Amino acid sequence: MNIASDPMSDRDLVSRVANGDRAALRLLFTRHHARVYRFVARQTGSEAMADDVANEVFLELWRQAPKFEGRSEVSTWLLGIARFKALSSMRKRKEEWLDDDDAAAVPDDNDTPEVATMKQDKGAALRRLVDTLADEHRTVIDLAYYHGKSVTEIGEVLDIPVATVKTRMFYARKKLGEALKAAGYDRGWP
Amino acid sequence: MSAAEKMSRRDEIETLLPFYLNGTLEGSELATVEDWLASDPEAPAALEAAEAEFSGTMAANEAIRPPADALSRFSKLLDAEAGPMREPQAQSLLSRVWERFMGLPVGVAWGAAAALLALVMVQSVLEPGSRGNDVQVAGTGEDQAKLPFALVTFKPDARMADIATLLGDNGASIIDGPTASGVFRIAIPSETVADYDRIVGVIAAAPFADTVTAGRKPAG
Repeated sequence: MNIASDPMSDRDLVSRVANGDRAALRLLFTRHHARVYRFVARQTGSEAMADDVANEVFLELWRQAPKFEGRSEVSTWLLGIARFKALSSMRKRKEEWLDDDDAAAVPDDNDTPEVATMKQDKGAALRRLVDTLADEHRTVIDLAYYHGKSVTEIGEVLDIPVATVKTRMFYARKKLGEALKAAGYDRGWP
Repeated sequence: MSAAEKMSRRDEIETLLPFYLNGTLEGSELATVEDWLASDPEAPAALEAAEAEFSGTMAANEAIRPPADALSRFSKLLDAEAGPMREPQAQSLLSRVWERFMGLPVGVAWGAAAALLALVMVQSVLEPGSRGNDVQVAGTGEDQAKLPFALVTFKPDARMADIATLLGDNGASIIDGPTASGVFRIAIPSETVADYDRIVGVIAAAPFADTVTAGRKPAG
């Protein structure tokens, strides 16, 4: 999804950054920082870490702009960098990164929603339930719904095959459906 | 088709709904979803569920508020950064040899010059205009014999690059040398003695020139 509305495209700006144009980088920062920040905050669960990592992402853009080949959207490229840096930061904190099978097997926090959730409206409940999905599942949900990425782009950001993107999306939506049902909302699928 | 297979097919289609809603679905997958939405009575409810997920996810993300001073703090970090990292330019073997040659002291460099001259000629064809300070080498044979010239020695630490610049700026060129005693024969492009004296004077004034001896002067 191209979120830029400015006549100067993201790719044009990256070209200018590659030539040392700091103003172009600031414009890209203005366009993309919030999404990168939120992506990292959702990945790490820490807004302090999101602040640091987001800055590192744009400094990386400054340093690596000459290497940008334009094969993907700039926003996709940035999210890929953000994911890598977020994972590195989390590893430094010795937090475990779960693989696909583990993620599918481990129950989400919302498997036994509290009674209060049942009294919320469906929209508010969904917002909370999305938050409590396992990381791998929430990330594909975020990338599709919030960041507007395609299956292929999500694969690029997460460095996983397209089939794995679909598998994670399937389980993510399945978990959401089960959680909603458990909370007293009839979702109907799956 | 079994019930399990039907369910699997539906699961597959419903997995694509988030991408249908975000507008990134295309081709056969888009057609499949559209056909299903148009034909399955349960499809509208599934689409409504996906739309609710869409709204919930948007709200969950937008509830995270980036710091208001993020740009100003980043700008300070950026100010401390050097320029973007660039890939080293691809450099031909000839270019690398030429640069090393130009950096050598003249006494060492000229020993390798004969072999390099052939490469220089190739470079001038393949990379015209790629060098602004090539050593100018005069033609051969009868042309050389008729040229006004001077005999020049350079200081031992003189660099070929400096000599090339000096000669190039004045249209001069190396005819021969160095001899065992380090003497170069330099062609001086001049129509008059005054021109000749001026150019020779410039060469003699160069800090890396050691001795300059007048040779043949123009007839004019």
